[in-house]
Amino acid sequence: MSKSKISQSEITETNTSRTMTAAAMALALGSAISIAAVPDVAHAEGMEKCYGVSLAGKNDCAAGPGTTCAGTSTIDYQGNAWTLVPKGTCEETASPTSPTGFGQLEAFEEK
Amino acid sequence: MLPSRAGLGLKPEHFRNILESGPDIGFFEVHAENYMVPGGPMHHYLGKIREHYPLSLHGVGLSIGADAPLDKTHLDALAVLIDRYAPQVFSEHLAWSSHGDFFLNDLLPLPYTATTLNRVCDHIDQVQTHLGCRMLLENPATYLEFSTSTLSETDFISEVIRRTGCGLLLDVNNAYVSCINHHREPGAYIRALPLDRAEQIHLGGFASQADANGDPLLIDSHSAPVAQDVWALYTEVLEQMGPTATLIERDNDIPPFDVLLAEVNLADSYLVEAGGQRE
Amino acid sequence: MSEQTVFASALLDPAQPCPDGLRAWNGSDPNQRFAVYRNNIVVSLIDALAATFPVCQQLVGEAFFRAMARVFVVAQPPRSQILTFYGREFPAFIDTFSPASSVPYLADVARLERLRLDAFHSADVEPLGTEDITGVLSAPPRLPGLRMDIHPSVAVLQSRFAVFSLWAAHQQADPGLARVDPLQPETVLVLRSGLEVQCIDIAEATGVFMDRLIQKETLSQAEQDAKACEPGFDLVAALTLLLRWQIITSLYPGDEHGQLD
Repeated sequence: MSKSKISQSEITETNTSRTMTAAAMALALGSAISIAAVPDVAHAEGMEKCYGVSLAGKNDCAAGPGTTCAGTSTIDYQGNAWTLVPKGTCEETASPTSPTGFGQLEAFEEK
Repeated sequence: MLPSRAGLGLKPEHFRNILESGPDIGFFEVHAENYMVPGGPMHHYLGKIREHYPLSLHGVGLSIGADAPLDKTHLDALAVLIDRYAPQVFSEHLAWSSHGDFFLNDLLPLPYTATTLNRVCDHIDQVQTHLGCRMLLENPATYLEFSTSTLSETDFISEVIRRTGCGLLLDVNNAYVSCINHHREPGAYIRALPLDRAEQIHLGGFASQADANGDPLLIDSHSAPVAQDVWALYTEVLEQMGPTATLIERDNDIPPFDVLLAEVNLADSYLVEAGGQRE
Repeated sequence: MSEQTVFASALLDPAQPCPDGLRAWNGSDPNQRFAVYRNNIVVSLIDALAATFPVCQQLVGEAFFRAMARVFVVAQPPRSQILTFYGREFPAFIDTFSPASSVPYLADVARLERLRLDAFHSADVEPLGTEDITGVLSAPPRLPGLRMDIHPSVAVLQSRFAVFSLWAAHQQADPGLARVDPLQPETVLVLRSGLEVQCIDIAEATGVFMDRLIQKETLSQAEQDAKACEPGFDLVAALTLLLRWQIITSLYPGDEHGQLD
């Protein structure tokens, strides 16, 4: 708090043009209130893109689905035996992998 | 008390459908831990659904069978939910799921000895005192037994219920799964439980696998319809107990709502046959 | 060591044999039956992460995601019984997980997905009505020192990567990812409006402005910091965002030095 107060007063004294006056702020808020009162302007301008979220409950009292061995594998998560490379939608992006990525050689060679 | 009707495990996927169609279902049951969040849609929908249906609050994380003290924070969170939603019943499992600082997210088995009996009774006493209500204890589905056990599971549960005054949540599917896994006769197992203290029944589906000897090993997966053998066992149970609130559980591979509703209706028809009344 | 300590440690380490004293009626190897418990724990926790981080899973594919999640589950099992809170440390884990380094934006996408879930379950707090906000206009001198409570669902994620575009592309049947340059910095505002969680692509300076308000800085300070970030910062647009999404829950007017009355 004290830090922000110091920086504020410094700005006010040394560079008044960067500090908004209360009147200008009131004007801005007044404009925002009237703009916000008109529905969907921002949406129409494409400024905001919105998506919902799906509902989920994660706790339950059932056993995990599938086979008894799915949770018991030892090989695929030991660092020295890691053989997987990311193979998802990341391959479709403009720059799918960074040049420094572990395992990226296989990914690039397959393209 | 819950009505002697069939109920359904409430899944978020079905919130809107239930509110829009108002299906004729005796009650809903929720897993308490899914509602231990500050706010948002989970509470919004549960509050609306609670206005129209009785509720069973079913805990999956209290770890009553743990060899460590109960988590007071978790008990407090349960008390908040009970205060907010006034469920007709609260139930938990004869199992443990937390150890040290970690939550292992499974219902793990315990040996049945004088020591574990005392501990489980102490924990249930604490739960009932803290929550100010009786709880129901659910018989577990297990895959292994302990050579250190000195009591049978049914004797252990009977003694817990006698000492603590808690009720029994009879999971017929768990009884069936455990009996197949441990080569016992499910009917005899159920008859050895204090059925006069059972206030609710669970029915669910299991998955079939094999153990190292090739003998059947059933997994309590809640991913399938109730099996024919379990329905048969259920009708026997109803003959002994009379109509008792019965939950259809499905937690994995959740089908469309109508499929679950059909199972609920089937359970309801057995309840009517057993002398229960539909409104 | 207690019986449950031995049991628990064997559950999370498949290299260990199952504990002594476990038996099956037919004398079969108890390890195979013990594996059911191992499976339940590991698979259910991986499933919980997959449900929280669906776009991350799409980005790297299910096989890679689940293998990565398995390493995390075993290294950092949940400490809370409430699984929806599980995975707060997952983005930081991804940052250090070298096999994922070829997808440098993965951790920030995970951060966005985690913020969305937190917003989803955040506390219900009523926003202020328009009259309350219009009311502060009656005393303009008190505006620069105005502080506010922002709705608990609101968070800002400022990223070196196109975290919003990457995430948004996966909300559509045809992601159109070829048009996304992942190396473009983006800032996202996350909030819950009614029952819906929203992600809003905002300018970096607007993100600074929102962040300062969340930190209870004054309107004047927030505006100055946003201008310092981008001289072209549009205060009217930023205020409109606050009002349109109704994320102000309390106002505390102060004087021009930010002192509360």
